[in-house]
Amino acid sequence: MHRAPRLRSFIYAAAIVVIVTATSQRASAEHARKGSQSLTRQTGAAQASAFQSGASQTSATQMVTDETGRRVLVPFKVNRIVSLAPNITETIYALGLEEKLAGDTDYCDTPAAAKLKPHVGSMLNPSLEAIVALHPDLVLAAANSANRRETVDALARLGVAVYATDSRTVGGMFESIAHISSLAGAAQQGTALVTRLQARLNALQTRLAERPLIHVLFVVWEDPLITIGQNTFIADALRWSGAESVVIAKQDWPQLALEEVVRLQPEYIVFTGKHSESSGTQVSDLRSRPMWKDLRAVEVGHVVNVSEEIDRPAPGLIDAIEELAHRLHPDAFPGENTRAMNHPPAHIRVDASEENYSCAR
Amino acid sequence: MRPLTPRRIAGICGVLFALLFVVVVISLRMGTYPISVSEIVTTLFRGALGRRDEIPSEFWLVVFGLRLPRIALGILVGAALSVAGAGFQALLRNPLADPYVLGVSSGAALGAILSLTFAPHVPGVIQLAAFIGAAATIASVYFLGRRGGQLDSATLLLAGIVAASFLSAMIMFLMTTLSGHELRGMAFWLMGDLSTPPPTPNVLEWLLFLFGVFAVAAGMIYATTSDLNLILTGEEEARHLGVNVRRVKLVVYISASVLTGLAVSVSGSIGYVGLLVPHVMRMIFGTDYRLLIPTSAIGGAIAIVLADTLARTVVAPTELPVGAMTALAGAPVFIYLMRRRVR
Amino acid sequence: MSAGAGNNLSIASQPVHFRAAAPPRLKVEQASYAYSATDRSAPKFTLGPATFEAQHREIVAILGPNASGKSTLLRLLAGLIKPLSGRVEVDGVEASELDLRTRAQRIALVQQESELLFPLRVWEYVLQGRYPYGKRLRFESDEDCLLAANALAQVGADGLRDRWMDQLSGGEKQRVILARALSQQPSLLLLDEPTQHLDIGGKVELLRRLRRLADENRYTVVVVTHELNLAAESSDRIVLLHKGKCLRVGAPAEVYEREVLEEVFEAPLDVEMRPSGRPRVVVRSSH
Repeated sequence: MHRAPRLRSFIYAAAIVVIVTATSQRASAEHARKGSQSLTRQTGAAQASAFQSGASQTSATQMVTDETGRRVLVPFKVNRIVSLAPNITETIYALGLEEKLAGDTDYCDTPAAAKLKPHVGSMLNPSLEAIVALHPDLVLAAANSANRRETVDALARLGVAVYATDSRTVGGMFESIAHISSLAGAAQQGTALVTRLQARLNALQTRLAERPLIHVLFVVWEDPLITIGQNTFIADALRWSGAESVVIAKQDWPQLALEEVVRLQPEYIVFTGKHSESSGTQVSDLRSRPMWKDLRAVEVGHVVNVSEEIDRPAPGLIDAIEELAHRLHPDAFPGENTRAMNHPPAHIRVDASEENYSCAR
Repeated sequence: MRPLTPRRIAGICGVLFALLFVVVVISLRMGTYPISVSEIVTTLFRGALGRRDEIPSEFWLVVFGLRLPRIALGILVGAALSVAGAGFQALLRNPLADPYVLGVSSGAALGAILSLTFAPHVPGVIQLAAFIGAAATIASVYFLGRRGGQLDSATLLLAGIVAASFLSAMIMFLMTTLSGHELRGMAFWLMGDLSTPPPTPNVLEWLLFLFGVFAVAAGMIYATTSDLNLILTGEEEARHLGVNVRRVKLVVYISASVLTGLAVSVSGSIGYVGLLVPHVMRMIFGTDYRLLIPTSAIGGAIAIVLADTLARTVVAPTELPVGAMTALAGAPVFIYLMRRRVR
Repeated sequence: MSAGAGNNLSIASQPVHFRAAAPPRLKVEQASYAYSATDRSAPKFTLGPATFEAQHREIVAILGPNASGKSTLLRLLAGLIKPLSGRVEVDGVEASELDLRTRAQRIALVQQESELLFPLRVWEYVLQGRYPYGKRLRFESDEDCLLAANALAQVGADGLRDRWMDQLSGGEKQRVILARALSQQPSLLLLDEPTQHLDIGGKVELLRRLRRLADENRYTVVVVTHELNLAAESSDRIVLLHKGKCLRVGAPAEVYEREVLEEVFEAPLDVEMRPSGRPRVVVRSSH
């Protein structure tokens, strides 16, 4: 081979480097430090039944149907749970089951303690190996929202017990909480939590009874302008807050032109933002933008920032719904001194402060 | 004057296979779940001997359930794309040709999107639909790319480019009307993803089927390599020397398109490999297609397995899509190649 | 030794042993061709019936102005197109009816080379001429290498063996292309305007080489060329074409007549006869 001697030697050198790195033991030490369990040499027979694909029903497991219709073999005693979605993590903490949470995703940030748990990666593409390395008895996934069906199938194929929730409405969320709590052996806490949350919602309903729904534009993304469809979770949450999207669409995330919004003239504009103040959209920002400033809602300052929890089927949702209801129907709550009410009308901004979203109850 | 002999080809391929084996072992070793090289070798050994019960079930799970199928798929896809790329470069008389230039991957993506819209989550449907999309594109571009009854390189290239852009536009249209969750699955698919689970419960059967298709298509291309060498010096000249140019072009077109369709159906579109691996192999081993096709196949396999290993480990536990890795690595390699063209 | 076809035996000048009548290497009999823009419109161009023959060791030069049908005639000879009427026979077999490989073993066509896509060495290029012998997917044998080396030697390009094709000069490339044609071991060697990009030295050298090849290796050579004088020097027979018609066939001295050449080439030309018996064409001075 006379052709590219420099290239050849480069390849040899690279091969040597790769081989040397790979056979070094440094990487093993890294993983041990990360907290995932180091390899133990157990023979197959002694393994928990959760890893055996297609195992027949033994006294240690039960066959359940998850919320997407899949049949899953779940152990009676669940001690190690891996959560693949932030709302599930939040629910687990709300149920007081954080001891059983063996791992969650990089994005589980509510409550803050969840960030310290071992991570398995992103929600869309978690590392299957990391999940397996945590030896979970049960993996909880939010199919059709945070997680992909492919991930669920891949884990099932490996013999891991995966239960997929599918909360499309607020009511569905209560069911999911109930299912999760019963799977994890905390049925009582689950019932209690659901009852509490439902009571708050019912109280809200009473307050808002006979009030017309406020027409809002819920902004998912500003540029291009994307809003919500009628079958989304947010749409349901809005209804509980006494509001309704001005856009009726079958698609989940319809894109619309700003002219259309001007034509529809929503009464309020709702943005979601993180908990911190700085990323909320200010009315003053909007007043300086073309087309936006032609909206009546912007003129009178009817711009609301609501927490991201509004899109999360977890207990914190109820706080967000209540917040939003207060913002949209101030006259339904006379005399109530919520922290946001102290702001003068000129820049109405609802930002959730940290304490309001603590899920540890 | 040292003409190419089968023995020399076997020798070079032997070296490359050894390199591939090393890369596979390294890839098996890397990952969130810590395993050492000796443990891998023992596991493989025991697995091969059928002594399954002696292997800790996590090993089995991680090595045979997760890593090995992925690596095997990576080998297949890398080999298929590289051979297809080499074939198209000869067919289209264009060193910039890659397997996707004739729109095959766009057709496959369109098939995949349609299957996600109408029959999501049925195992195997997305691969089948993608392959049908690829096949339909292959046929249409063929009929558009003919001139005077046979495939004409320039016309074919134009037809392919038109098909690719038309199909991409349709895909974009459909993606704006898809709902959220399917869309995300599609985005992953488009970026190139080796972790798609096989549609049949038995991974081995699936892999053997795929390799079978690969072997047939690659074999058909290999049978034309003497002809291709001549065609590369000029079609007219090749005709005068007795090459059935029309038939060779048709065989290469169909086989290379089948290989591309195969790769894209199982793993989405992974870019740069089909374009660059043949060039790198040319630089090292020369332009004789009798050697280029096998070395490209093995070289492509090595490239994808490496890229996938990096994609899995670089920001663990998050996994990057393989296509992102090949793009990141591919661009500098491309620049290097451009500056080092052997004159 | 006169260049003649058939059995022109003059008892007094031939050796005593009886020589069997050899069929002509190349025989063109009333071959014609036409092509039109579409299938139904009138023919755009017709190549009128042409008749001539050539034996081994003969060089035939096809002359004519541009668009007179020279390349079409050459393609007929190569068997690439089938004559509409008449026959073109090489070694007694209709050229267009030969299968591809056999045709490539008998007839070698040298045209202007297309652009090479990827770098190639000279010996690799010449070895490709051995393609017609053997299976479709083939690996060159020692014999192939020997023949290719011989071909390179025959064109005096031994030293170019390890050079890259795209680094050759025009003349060197011409020789290498010729070597590839020779390694086909053809009976009939066809060249389409091989002197186009060569300087005068190159032209002379090429035609002299062709002459030598024809003599030594018993090839039959047909050259399409513009070079009136070089053709007159080296060829045994001239075929003069004008607007598709085969005007004259014969030895240079017979074909080169002033009136004919002037009409065909539309230029003021004079023909001089040189002592060697070969004619020379000069441009008539204006005064």
